[in-house]
Amino acid sequence: MAEKETQKTYRMHLMICAGTGCVSNHSYEVKEALEKELRKHGLENEVVVVPTGCNGFCERGPILVVQPGNIFYQQLSVKDVPHLVEEHFLKGRPVAKLMYSPPETKQPVPVLNDIPFFNKQVLIALRNRGLIDPEKIEESIAHDGYKAMVKALSEMKPEKIIAEITLSGLRGRGGAGFPTGLKWQLVRNAMSTNGGQKYIVCNGDEGDPGAFMDRSILEADPHSVIEGMVIGAKAIGATAGFIYVRNEYPLAVERLSIALKQARDYGLLGQDILGTGFDFDIQIKRGAGAFVCGEETALIASIEGRLGEPRPRPPYPAQSGLWGKPTCINNVETWANVPTIINRGAKWYAGIGTKTSKGTKVFSLVGKINNTGLVEVPMGITLREIIYDIGGGIPGGKAFKAVQTGGPSGGCIPKEKIDLPIDYESLSEAGSMMGSGGMVIMDEDTCMVDVARYFLTFTQDESCGKCTPCREGTKAMLEILTKITEGKGTPEDLTLLEDLAPAIKDTALCGLGKTAPNPVLTTLRYFRNEYETHIQNKKCPAHVCRPLNVYTIDPGLCLSQGHGCDVCRRNCSSEAIAGQKNEAHAIFQDKCIKCGVCYDVCAFGAVKVD
Amino acid sequence: MPKLTIQDLEKIREQARRGLVIREGGAFKAKINVHMGTCGIAAGARTIMTALMKEVERRDLHDILLTNSGCAGLCSQEPMVTVELAGRAPVKYVNLTETKIQEIFEKHVLGGTIVKDYALGIGSEKTDY
Amino acid sequence: MVNLTIDGKQVEVDEGSTILQAAKKAGARVPTLCFHPVIEPYAACRVCVVEVAFRGKNDLLTSCNTKAEEGMDVRTASERALRARRLNVEMLLARAPAAEPLREIAKELGIEKTRFPVKDPDEKCILCGLCVRACEQIVGACAISFIERGTDRHVSTPFGEESEACIGCTACAHFCPTGAITVEDKYGRKVIHDEMYLGPTTAIRVPTRQAVPMVPFIDKEACIHFKTGECKVCAKVCDRDAVNHEMEDTIQEIEAGSIIIASGFKTFDARRIPAYGYGRFPNIITAMEFERLVNASGPTGGKVLLANGEEPKAVGIIHCVGSRDENYHAYCSRVCCMYSLKFAHLLGEKTKATIYDFYIDMRCFGKGYEEFYHRLLKEGTKFVRGRVSEITTLALTEKEEGKLIIRVEDTLLGAVRRIAVDMAILAVGMEPSIDHNRLAKTFNISCSQDTFFLERHPKLAPVSSFSDGIFLAGTCQGPKDIPDTVAQAGAAAAEALALADLGKVELEPITAVIDDKLCSGCQICVGLCPFTAITYKKDEGHSEINDALCKGCGTCVAACPSGASYQKHFRDEQIFAEIEGIFLI
Repeated sequence: MAEKETQKTYRMHLMICAGTGCVSNHSYEVKEALEKELRKHGLENEVVVVPTGCNGFCERGPILVVQPGNIFYQQLSVKDVPHLVEEHFLKGRPVAKLMYSPPETKQPVPVLNDIPFFNKQVLIALRNRGLIDPEKIEESIAHDGYKAMVKALSEMKPEKIIAEITLSGLRGRGGAGFPTGLKWQLVRNAMSTNGGQKYIVCNGDEGDPGAFMDRSILEADPHSVIEGMVIGAKAIGATAGFIYVRNEYPLAVERLSIALKQARDYGLLGQDILGTGFDFDIQIKRGAGAFVCGEETALIASIEGRLGEPRPRPPYPAQSGLWGKPTCINNVETWANVPTIINRGAKWYAGIGTKTSKGTKVFSLVGKINNTGLVEVPMGITLREIIYDIGGGIPGGKAFKAVQTGGPSGGCIPKEKIDLPIDYESLSEAGSMMGSGGMVIMDEDTCMVDVARYFLTFTQDESCGKCTPCREGTKAMLEILTKITEGKGTPEDLTLLEDLAPAIKDTALCGLGKTAPNPVLTTLRYFRNEYETHIQNKKCPAHVCRPLNVYTIDPGLCLSQGHGCDVCRRNCSSEAIAGQKNEAHAIFQDKCIKCGVCYDVCAFGAVKVD
Repeated sequence: MPKLTIQDLEKIREQARRGLVIREGGAFKAKINVHMGTCGIAAGARTIMTALMKEVERRDLHDILLTNSGCAGLCSQEPMVTVELAGRAPVKYVNLTETKIQEIFEKHVLGGTIVKDYALGIGSEKTDY
Repeated sequence: MVNLTIDGKQVEVDEGSTILQAAKKAGARVPTLCFHPVIEPYAACRVCVVEVAFRGKNDLLTSCNTKAEEGMDVRTASERALRARRLNVEMLLARAPAAEPLREIAKELGIEKTRFPVKDPDEKCILCGLCVRACEQIVGACAISFIERGTDRHVSTPFGEESEACIGCTACAHFCPTGAITVEDKYGRKVIHDEMYLGPTTAIRVPTRQAVPMVPFIDKEACIHFKTGECKVCAKVCDRDAVNHEMEDTIQEIEAGSIIIASGFKTFDARRIPAYGYGRFPNIITAMEFERLVNASGPTGGKVLLANGEEPKAVGIIHCVGSRDENYHAYCSRVCCMYSLKFAHLLGEKTKATIYDFYIDMRCFGKGYEEFYHRLLKEGTKFVRGRVSEITTLALTEKEEGKLIIRVEDTLLGAVRRIAVDMAILAVGMEPSIDHNRLAKTFNISCSQDTFFLERHPKLAPVSSFSDGIFLAGTCQGPKDIPDTVAQAGAAAAEALALADLGKVELEPITAVIDDKLCSGCQICVGLCPFTAITYKKDEGHSEINDALCKGCGTCVAACPSGASYQKHFRDEQIFAEIEGIFLI
């Protein structure tokens, strides 16, 4: 049984990341290779391999952290394993070439805590990442799992729990940032018809492109979410809970199911939990991948088995939610924060962060950034710190241009605002939003019109189609943006776009529609000149919108550097390039379909784009 | 009747925690470093390590950190072990056998008295990983 | 009560009222599209947005679902509200340019043309969801829903296939504000949107077009209210409050002195003659079906059309289907010849088709009937004398391809003919009605060989049955046409009236009597009495005869084992005395 294994003494624990990112980079194969190799050296009773949840530094997966010592190995492959096992685990000589070397110093950093990506992070929601095997409840328990639950169930009155959460200043991590304590209070106060049934829901329908913090928490530490929900249930007086998780997260669903089963087997869920007389159980509901089901009323409809589309609020779910009963819906990350607040106290939590935004926030760092991954940082940290200190800057020495926060509903924040402290208010002042915490970094090669078009493609596709502004408006905006990126835009289009965006924001039914124009509004606000260049000069400054590009070949470079290598001509699908080996090549503009292949294949930089 | 009482849970927590102390890099009572270079292994460092593991397991100890490192440079005197009690200078033992290490474990690691007969010296080398 | 300001005007409305209701009260016009008073608000079209200043916030809110609250300051036509409303209408107009109510609102808002690309100029659906919500909330059937997301969203049944959940109530079409959902009768089924079949029939309907009284009734089997307790839309929309869901079927017992049975007939089931292909091939119809087809209130509005919607070029009318045929009914149904001639005449009037009439004998015996037959001969109907042997689709020549081929021996030509037609009408004969046997048992009426009720005497008592006070009228007694039926019914009524007028009933003088001293109570006679005149008196232990019912047939007398039953004036002693008297002479 699992219990026995945990108790067995090993001199060394190899914490291998088994988050979705690393798993798809073959971390399970590495794990098997490690176990095989350890057996070969007769080390199986001395060294144990532990699969853990996402470590966060996904850019560098598969990741292995060796304990004791916190030694960080990255980008492991099966063929590295024999050497690693013999050198480090048998002979005690850490392998430098498998360690992480920051691009600027090129010096391997052996210890995890010394890596800049990690050392600025403050872990609360992700406190157990890389430390425990998420499929063993005992490991969670050893790391203070269910300690806060014991405290909440045995020592605290519901009012006290709510007061603690309120005092901590915790706000919803799902996007809107509604104060969690206040929400709980509302649900607690709500009168429920029919026997006072109330519900707790965990929103794990993480749909923003590039955001994966909820998945990571569910995969790395499902018990933190379960514990948070039990505490919440006690606070509001609920006896049943649902975790709504998207079916596209099979690993999260699996680990969650295991965690729920283990918690139930231990009596940490179910009837009379820990003899406190409190009953609560949780069911998993799997979503079918509609983005709009992250919206709470659509989510409720989906759990109830109806069409996943939002309904007008009020009534808010706190008054009339699941099956008309008062329902408290919080996001995965919010729930994961709750146990730590109860354990360490509201004051401690409120000590982290800014005046209005307390605690930490998990961000997924993606796009044009060196250290792609998941980071948990205290509120109030600046964008600069995240991008340059933690994220390691922009690859290829390119200049930072903008950061898109809050997923498709968020906005783009330009480089001028790089010292913006991150909290709910300052982000929304800048025209963006906290959202679920996606952070897409863009460099100078990014076209902002194209970025807006990209996000609109997503929102118009995900719009449920219930209300007019969202259904027709996002489509209309997308059509205009597409026209502009194809060089067919007119000044009237810009006017129409400026008419549309605020009206959609004003009249859409749910959060999806209300925020869908944000990418357009912020890019218009900060990068209006790019729109104008596209429309008036028919040029894309970043050369992203290919229909606007003009490709030419510098004959001098072509001949002197490439000796007329002919690669471009051979790759041209429309026979638009003339020339032969040892001759300078040229492009017939009338035949060129602007696919950009010649530009991509020219090794000598002779193909120019304008 | 609840499945589990709060006391039971605390017991499980205590038990589980002991096995996982190693991951937290927290305070250990003693750190034993077995030098496991090729020379050490050839001279029998694996036997020493196994003996130490057995000792730790037999006594159900969780505050002893067993680790290994490479060759200490004194290949002729292998197998070699460095014992470092919390707050005290590390002691290097040389030319070890299974019985010798058991004695050292008993007297030095648990008892706190250095077994001078087998010791090479005190201090000198840092035993960081 | 709640006080709020609408466009600067103070209004007081009931607690729980919406801003829309308050605006109506204040006389402000707020256009709506997805709103309907009997369906829960959906707030999807966002056309009813108004600007509301409340609790320090200034928001655009949908008036259809937002509750009016104390102190709200609502502006229904603020610049912000109007701009948003116009834009939403403009966008909707690009989706559904043919939607009339939308165009009206657009006109009202001063929108002449939409700036957004129009995909389908004939589209009417504005995706208001009223049909879906009516089907769910009112009907409770949930047969249709939105499918797909975003701009691909549309109303459909699951997988776009015929919905088992649909009850054919057509509520969806009723609630559709733009006429995007139309209901059409196709092939005897209701069809919405040209492709989706609906279920059987509406739960509330007039039984037939010529029903008397011409009043709709609720079909309890189909009515949602009697399944779920919900709906009651009919009651909601009826401004005369004429709908009553509490009505129950009642069985009434009426005491009557005499009874006239006029239980009618049913038509012969043409499927019983497989050779005629009815039910197997399209365009073979019975006489009743043709009547429906040709009726101006029928499914085609009186046009004679084939199943594919085209007009037939040749039609065959086949007489004596099920009549004058010893395999089915030996009797002549008496009406078929004449109605077949009528059909031939109507077909000639309404179509350009060649009309064939296949008869065995023309029986045109009524007043003016023969003349009608001669008129038809002049009109060009092709009469073929001979019984049709089969109707087939098996073509032998190219000309016969896709047609119905009627095979018949033309007895005048003395040859077997194959006649290709597009439509065949089977002149089905008459049979006693469905509950004929049950009625016969209930009223103790005998049946003749042809299974119709037997009258007491074919010449002297053609409307009486063997039971006094029970009369027969119409086709329950035998096939006959309308004039004959009316005549017989009049006679039956007169007979019944005569009885009533007399005020008393003359009894049969010769009835049976049971001697209670001899009766053992064996009850053999009770079961045998054809007039149910004998009852067994349990308390007294013997049977007794009701004089009013007894017709003096003597069955019980012959059957009585103990000789307790005897006939008045015909006791054994009297009979024997008579016999003796004969021998004395």
